[in-house]
Amino acid sequence: MFKNHIKIAWRSLKNEKLFTTIKVGGFAVGIAACLLITLFIKDELGYDQHYKNKDVIYRVVLEGKFNGEVMKSVHFQLPFADALVSDFPEIKKAAKVNASELFGAGKRGLKIAGESQNKLEDGFIFANQDLIDVLEIDIVQGNSGTALSATENLVISKSKADIFFPNGDALGKNIILDNNTYKPYTISAVMADRPPNTHLKFDFLLPIEDTNMSWTNQNYFTYILVDEKTNIKELEKKMFSIMENYVIPAQKERGRAPDFLEVLKTIEYKLQPVEDIYLKSDLKMGDGLQHGDIRFVWLFGAISGFILILACINFINLSTAKSANRAKEVGLRKTIGAYKSNLVSQFLTESVLFSVISFALGVLLAWVLLPSFNAIALKNVSMPWQSIWFIPIIVLFAVIVGLLAGLYPAFYLSGFRPIAVLKGNLSIGSKSGKLRSGLVIFQFATSVVLIIGTLIIYKQMNFILTKELGYNKEQIVVLEGASILGNKTESFKNQLVQLPSVKKATVSSYLPIEGTKRNGNTFRKSTAGNEEKGIAAQIWRVDYDYISTLGMQVNNGRDFSEDYASDAINSIIINEKMATELGYKNPIGKQISNGENWTIVGVVSDFHFKSLKEDITPLALVVGKDTGIISLKLSGTTVNEALTEIGAVWDKNVPNQAFDYTFLDQKFAQMHQDVKRMGKIFNSFALFAIMVACLGLFALSAFMVEQRQKEISIRLVLGAPFKSIYKLITLDFLKLVFIAMLIATPIGWYLMSNWLQDFAYKINLSWEIFVGAGCIALSVAVVTISYQAIGAALLKPLKSLRAE
Amino acid sequence: MLLELNHIYKWVQSGGQKIFLLKDINLKVEEGEFISIMGPSGSGKSTLLNIIGMLDVFNEGEYNFLEDSVHNLKEKHRSNLYKQYIGFVFQAYHLLDELTVYENLEMPLLYKKYSSSERKALVADMLDKFNIVGKQNLFPSQLSGGQQQLVGIARALISNPKLILADEPTGNLNSKQGEEIMEIFKELNKEGVTIIQVTHSEKNAAYASRTINLLDGRQV
Repeated sequence: MFKNHIKIAWRSLKNEKLFTTIKVGGFAVGIAACLLITLFIKDELGYDQHYKNKDVIYRVVLEGKFNGEVMKSVHFQLPFADALVSDFPEIKKAAKVNASELFGAGKRGLKIAGESQNKLEDGFIFANQDLIDVLEIDIVQGNSGTALSATENLVISKSKADIFFPNGDALGKNIILDNNTYKPYTISAVMADRPPNTHLKFDFLLPIEDTNMSWTNQNYFTYILVDEKTNIKELEKKMFSIMENYVIPAQKERGRAPDFLEVLKTIEYKLQPVEDIYLKSDLKMGDGLQHGDIRFVWLFGAISGFILILACINFINLSTAKSANRAKEVGLRKTIGAYKSNLVSQFLTESVLFSVISFALGVLLAWVLLPSFNAIALKNVSMPWQSIWFIPIIVLFAVIVGLLAGLYPAFYLSGFRPIAVLKGNLSIGSKSGKLRSGLVIFQFATSVVLIIGTLIIYKQMNFILTKELGYNKEQIVVLEGASILGNKTESFKNQLVQLPSVKKATVSSYLPIEGTKRNGNTFRKSTAGNEEKGIAAQIWRVDYDYISTLGMQVNNGRDFSEDYASDAINSIIINEKMATELGYKNPIGKQISNGENWTIVGVVSDFHFKSLKEDITPLALVVGKDTGIISLKLSGTTVNEALTEIGAVWDKNVPNQAFDYTFLDQKFAQMHQDVKRMGKIFNSFALFAIMVACLGLFALSAFMVEQRQKEISIRLVLGAPFKSIYKLITLDFLKLVFIAMLIATPIGWYLMSNWLQDFAYKINLSWEIFVGAGCIALSVAVVTISYQAIGAALLKPLKSLRAE
Repeated sequence: MLLELNHIYKWVQSGGQKIFLLKDINLKVEEGEFISIMGPSGSGKSTLLNIIGMLDVFNEGEYNFLEDSVHNLKEKHRSNLYKQYIGFVFQAYHLLDELTVYENLEMPLLYKKYSSSERKALVADMLDKFNIVGKQNLFPSQLSGGQQQLVGIARALISNPKLILADEPTGNLNSKQGEEIMEIFKELNKEGVTIIQVTHSEKNAAYASRTINLLDGRQV
């Protein structure tokens, strides 16, 4: 019997190729989409889940209100971690981490002592010994207890060790960083590679060399390991004693104003579970790490659920749409002895078979699409073939979905009274018209929301990439790792400027791109006392050519110039924002201080030096040597030629480190990669949703045409022209799609204006976007329905009438 | 006695009026009879046949089938009854398009839970009896109308019913094919199968031992 069911299912599958393709293919697409999204979500939720003690590892966060604005930070003083351990017995360990380039984290030129070739390596961070215990760093070679205890120690990851020391003898080897032969490091331990889904990625650990135990400098992330029985809420409250006992006295000693100290009293310490760091951090924390967004995880989860539900509904619809054909079979089987239970089991078998095939195809499709999906989502997820649960779960799902999808058609079809269907006067499914209309609306509303999302993200991305930034990011080549040049930097720069392809060059590690060096400070008017509040501002050390190379505008006063001897000593150029915050209408010649005294010689137009999610904040430029990065403005010649020329000069000056460059506009685009990534993910999901929705529409229009075949035939016999039949079918559905648009527009507007809130600089939500999204959905719908409508209009009336 | 109809009425309600499809039908059928039901279109022939086959219900009257009072039975028991004792032959053959001749014949046996070897034997008998062994692996669409109807009859017979109900079995066939089918019915009847057929054709009706004429739902 069962074999017979399968046989029939298989043959009817083969007989109706187009229909089967749509039914199975559509379902498979839905499943593939759902699977990909699930893998994505699983990966996102899997961040920092690998710690054995993940329930007792926390990152300390500081929250307070400063000038009415909520302020958050994850940077703490060097002695902060030590104070936590000594003052609170429930805190067992406290790790400090410095991942700031200002201190030499990030990229460093690395070479093995005695060798000449330097290699630029990323992933350096500074940490104290406790990090190894708190973040459970697995030391595979060397002593984990002393890995970071001495200042010359260096811990290297296994994969990097394998590259530099293929023989596995990394331990005890000397390493030179940035050609600084005076301070060699010794590899004290080799650690297992960090898992890919952790918020803090690093390949090299350096001990903290900073000895400034001041309670007023905040540069360190602090991670703690607490006792299991700790009440976290209470501990957070108790931790305020750190503020009272250490921070406030220190600030007082520095002569800070009482109102500033009042602000400090409103500050709270919070403990963020380690597993929340990746997904639930606030941009305001400014940790400079790569983050996901829990809101998108939920949103994508909802979308994937939607897609799966829609695909199932379509599957059911397509099954019932063909029921007129099956009805006869049902009637016949009943007259030759089939029981209702036989038929139910037959249809369920069939549905499960289809479902299993669809799942198999879906999984296959997901597997095929996975590399492109990884590229889009910047992920490295793989199909969990090896997991023992994967295949059984997929099979289980296939069977469950198959049964669910089959239940309705099975009972619906097997309930036909044989005489009614054999005589052929049965009208099928007319009762559930409203339900079906609801489904079309639901599917298209989902699609339109996704299209709106895609369009808005795309527009915002475009807006960011083409926005006037206050500097010119085009045709600028960035050479990182230039500190290796040492005192040859100036002559190297001069050699470059001699090249016809290079217009200008500037030496400074500070660039208006996140991830380059940053240095925050507090400035006051020199006339003001130390107790005045002051303003927070960046102070960047640049050279005389910085402003002209990067194309910033000095709109008041002058640029730095070697003609003024004072420029090398105490001249400062501030941005407009800083001038406003200082309250100067004409700041030129005014004196300001951050401990040192500076004379303002120029005001530079505001330029963006952070992601466009953030506002421009005060910034000051002073002349100084900071030789990590050299930036070159090319003259109009071809880029490749220029690079060859520059490379030749580099090789002449730095024979032992390979020439490495990037472009400023690329770095800028990279800074907004999360937006781009989100846009692409949205785009692909929208595509999936539309495909599924179209299949739904196809199914329903097929269903309707089938149902109205007699009506259409009679109309045709009576001389209805092609156009009128086409309209008859199409208009009904377009009405539904139109209603879907009306529903989707406010939802899309709400969701996306919420998203745009993350950006300080954003596009306006204009009506064109919504109309555009509607038009896309509408035209896709028209094309889909047309297939059926044209088929209906070209129907041979005799055929369907004779069957009556 | 195989079945008995007493004062059977069937009507449909249309705009507050009863429209009678069958009026006061009385009929006794003995085992081994061959009966034709004749009458013009709309006279209620097929309705009567469907009521006899328990595919349709009546509004008034009594129907006894092998001592069972059909009018008192629940739907489920009724369908059990016809599944057990009645074979149907349709004007449009109604074979399952996805199944071969062999599989079409096997289908009723599957529902009656015959074992595999029994099924094989019974199907082989039928194929042999109707001389269609060579066609067993063909699909219905590969057969002529007459051949399809042969398969239809073979399928109706395979589970050894007491009664064959045929609704215009030759309606879709040409006269030569029709004659062959009627010859087969005659043979079957000789072997003891009870047959009730609905027909338009006097010639076909003549094969039967008794003819019932209907007009506007009444026996005449």
